Amino acid sequence: MRSLTLGRVAMRCALLGAVLFVVIVIALKLGAVPVSLYALARALVRVAIYQTSELPSDYRLIIFDIRLPRILLAVFVGASLSVAGTSFQALLRNPLADPYVLGVSSGAGLGAILAQVAESHLALPSAVAVLLTPLGAFVGALATIVAVYFLGRREGLVDSNTLLLGGVITASFLSALIMFLLDTVVGRDLHGTAFWLMGDLSTTQQPIVSWIVRFGFFLAAAAIYTTASDLNLLLAGEKEAMHLGVDVRRVRIVVYVAASLLTGLAVSVSGAIGYVGLLVPHAMRWLFGSDHRMLIPTAAFGGAIAVVIADTLARTVVAPTELPVGAISALAGAPFFIYLLRRRLA
Amino acid sequence: MSGMVRAGGLAARSEPTRASEVRLSVEQVSYAYSPNPSQAPLFTLEATSFQAKPGEIVAILGPNASGKSTVLKLIAGVLAPLSGRVLLDGFATHTLPVRARAQRIAMVQQESQLLFPSRAWEFVLQGRHPYSRALHFESDNDLIIARNALAQVGAEHLSDRWMDQISGGERQRVILARALAQQPLLLLLDEPTLHLDIGAQVDLLEGLRRLASENRYTVVIVTHELNLVADYADQVALMQRGRCLRVGTPAAVYQRELLEQVFQAQLSVELGASGRPRVTVLSQTP
Amino acid sequence: MSSASRTRFVAVTLSALAALVLCGASSLHGQSATQAPAAAAQFRDVVDEAGRAVRIPQPVLRIVSLAPSLTETIYALGIQDRLAGDTDYCDYPPEAQKKPKVGGALNPSLEEIAALHPDLVLATKGLNRLDTVLALQTLNIPAYATDPHTVDQIISSTLRLADILGVPDAGATLAADLRHRLDDLEQRLINVPPRRVLFVVWDEPLISVGKDTFIADALRHAGAASIVESTQGWPQMSLEEVVRQQPDFLVFAESHSPTGSVDLDALASRPGWRGLEAVRHRRFAVISEAVNRPAPRIVSAIEDLARQLHPEAFEQKAIPTTRLSSPVSSRDESYFEETCACVL
Repeated sequence: MRSLTLGRVAMRCALLGAVLFVVIVIALKLGAVPVSLYALARALVRVAIYQTSELPSDYRLIIFDIRLPRILLAVFVGASLSVAGTSFQALLRNPLADPYVLGVSSGAGLGAILAQVAESHLALPSAVAVLLTPLGAFVGALATIVAVYFLGRREGLVDSNTLLLGGVITASFLSALIMFLLDTVVGRDLHGTAFWLMGDLSTTQQPIVSWIVRFGFFLAAAAIYTTASDLNLLLAGEKEAMHLGVDVRRVRIVVYVAASLLTGLAVSVSGAIGYVGLLVPHAMRWLFGSDHRMLIPTAAFGGAIAVVIADTLARTVVAPTELPVGAISALAGAPFFIYLLRRRLA
Repeated sequence: MSGMVRAGGLAARSEPTRASEVRLSVEQVSYAYSPNPSQAPLFTLEATSFQAKPGEIVAILGPNASGKSTVLKLIAGVLAPLSGRVLLDGFATHTLPVRARAQRIAMVQQESQLLFPSRAWEFVLQGRHPYSRALHFESDNDLIIARNALAQVGAEHLSDRWMDQISGGERQRVILARALAQQPLLLLLDEPTLHLDIGAQVDLLEGLRRLASENRYTVVIVTHELNLVADYADQVALMQRGRCLRVGTPAAVYQRELLEQVFQAQLSVELGASGRPRVTVLSQTP
Repeated sequence: MSSASRTRFVAVTLSALAALVLCGASSLHGQSATQAPAAAAQFRDVVDEAGRAVRIPQPVLRIVSLAPSLTETIYALGIQDRLAGDTDYCDYPPEAQKKPKVGGALNPSLEEIAALHPDLVLATKGLNRLDTVLALQTLNIPAYATDPHTVDQIISSTLRLADILGVPDAGATLAADLRHRLDDLEQRLINVPPRRVLFVVWDEPLISVGKDTFIADALRHAGAASIVESTQGWPQMSLEEVVRQQPDFLVFAESHSPTGSVDLDALASRPGWRGLEAVRHRRFAVISEAVNRPAPRIVSAIEDLARQLHPEAFEQKAIPTTRLSSPVSSRDESYFEETCACVL
């Protein structure tokens, strides 16, 4: 018997980190405008030694102003969704759980739509207008988190099954509300919403929003990671976990809030990219085992890699037109899920 | 602190308790369960008391819905008693923080629900959780303790097997090993013999008897198996419909009229050569 | 410290450092974005029709258009050689299809736009996304948005656009011509009661245009009154309600793709539609798809529709007008020949 050690976790993370780095470099190279690998390397070196003024302005704009922020956003959105998915699968003890199962993405979508409707009817200065959509999405996500949490209480305690039911119902209700709004109030004002609902990384974010997404990710992921061994035990059953010294109530609250925060942040900047939060945890479990001390960091890297690849495909496959990222993740996700399923059964 | 811990021993860690001192004291505990506060309680447990020493096996015996599991949960500190208290080495179990409780009390329940199956040794290693801090990775000592626990239940050969690929009896042993890895003072078992065949049942009780005496555990078993209890328990608490009717040695508690009343069947009780009673169910037809 | 906890301490510290670095990783992109190009000599500050302040370099030599209507307008103003790029859907005039493409109107590729080095990007609020405009702003690429809701606003928008792009004379001439044609129409239709019509965007589900859209306004100029009262952009109508209202005519916009056009012959045989007098008597008016675009060409579509709905108003001698010899007008006349056979 060889138990898990910090060294092994670190090695797997280093390996995945290297893969992520390679994927990022390739993503920087690919795009509607061709960039040669040599030019890219030269540009990166120049940046590394702080000679940014020497860069031809073409490359500076395309690589560093357009592609790099988008790729970094993809990294953090992918990592957030995967860690959230892993957490919800453990929390709800359900392998089919994904970050959206508790209705957070529908709440965020509703918030974003309401924000966009408000914004088109009010005359706001650009600086405020541009923050309105992610803010609305985030507020919607938070409101849903709180509502579902209270729905999920039974006899004063949060119960996994009740939580799941409450979340699923809330998700349906909010989705129906969104459909209603899209059909009646909205009309031709919100063409972009379709993209957003499918998952879209093409909107440039304000620096403060990017900063919040990254910082929020590290904060929430760290909080979840401290409960990693508790989550291992929770999977065996809540009563057993309690008998083994897990403060089930505290762990539930921490993980629920942190995972919902991750989902809310991701969804508020990129819409609901599907399948990542569901499948990456399963893939990592298949590769590296179900111990959450290994699973959580590897899922984060795995999610980052997956979304960067999906987003790169989304913007290059039919260039210069862009597909929504969610379409790619769905097209790739479903067959991959079937593959994983068959492997486990075989 | 016993020096045996460092060597990976499974002896109950504790403040020095002499073998003759009482370890577990259940004092007049009662409980009432009502799902709706405005309604009358659905179930009540009336004042129940008994005591147990290190190395002793206590059986809580009774038919279904007699309150056995409730007593066990009160002992485990999971439920707060309505009145009375449960003391383990002087500490009220309900007031202990979850971690401290898990270091002293180990619960063995039936069939674990395994969402993502693990190997037996990983499963047993979970028993070390009460001793770990956040972000803790198991130490060599933890591994030794886990291996010893498997050895103590005779399941060392199952160490690398997947939990969902071994038999029910084998799984029960691994679950017991996990409880032992917690190095508890008190071992609680809730109907451990339910899914086991007779051979496995005897194996389990023999093992518990040996473990209790070797490692100085106090063992409390909830069951309705009359003869197993008679053969292996040092004390019996007989329950019926939320009331504890009698506490004592099996010979003292197994009175025919009392048992017939509690179990609603015609029985005959004989004392065996070892001084332990034997209960036989009499069939209705002559 | 034991070796295990020391390792852990190191790991945690390293991860925290890595986290901080990644948080600020993209701050270098802020540097390059804020370095304004030193080459441009002059600027002009204007407020676009969406209410945003835009700083436009002068002169405007390279334009990227993000809407077919804006592309058409550029050609109508005669400055098409300054058009550096347009969208996949910019298909009129045909030469516009040969321009470098930047993607769709809703999801253009920022890279392609940036690679074309435009001095100005043109967008329209009814078609393009605010996100796109804001993203361009972050990249220091000025974007000007139009937002016409009536035919008059289309004309004034064109005028303003011409002014910004440095061709105010061409704009004035074009605007004058368009106004003249509209006034002529108004004269001819002055005593003619408007026809009640339903503009059919799509048949199943039945979608029409709201009364606040420029298309509804265009209908008005053509002597038609849309029976739709809704303020939504593309309201879905109930067929029963339409049958109850019994419009005099059904108006359709021609479409290039076979799937995009409604099969008029089959319409009469469909249940529900048969209840419409206009269907039974085949009172259809089919006009150019120019009516869908807020561009100068819409006036030709208006004229065409007016001739189809009120042929009697055009039997007199045509009032002489001065026409610019621009691609827009010549295509006009061929449309007139093709479509007038449709009336009854």
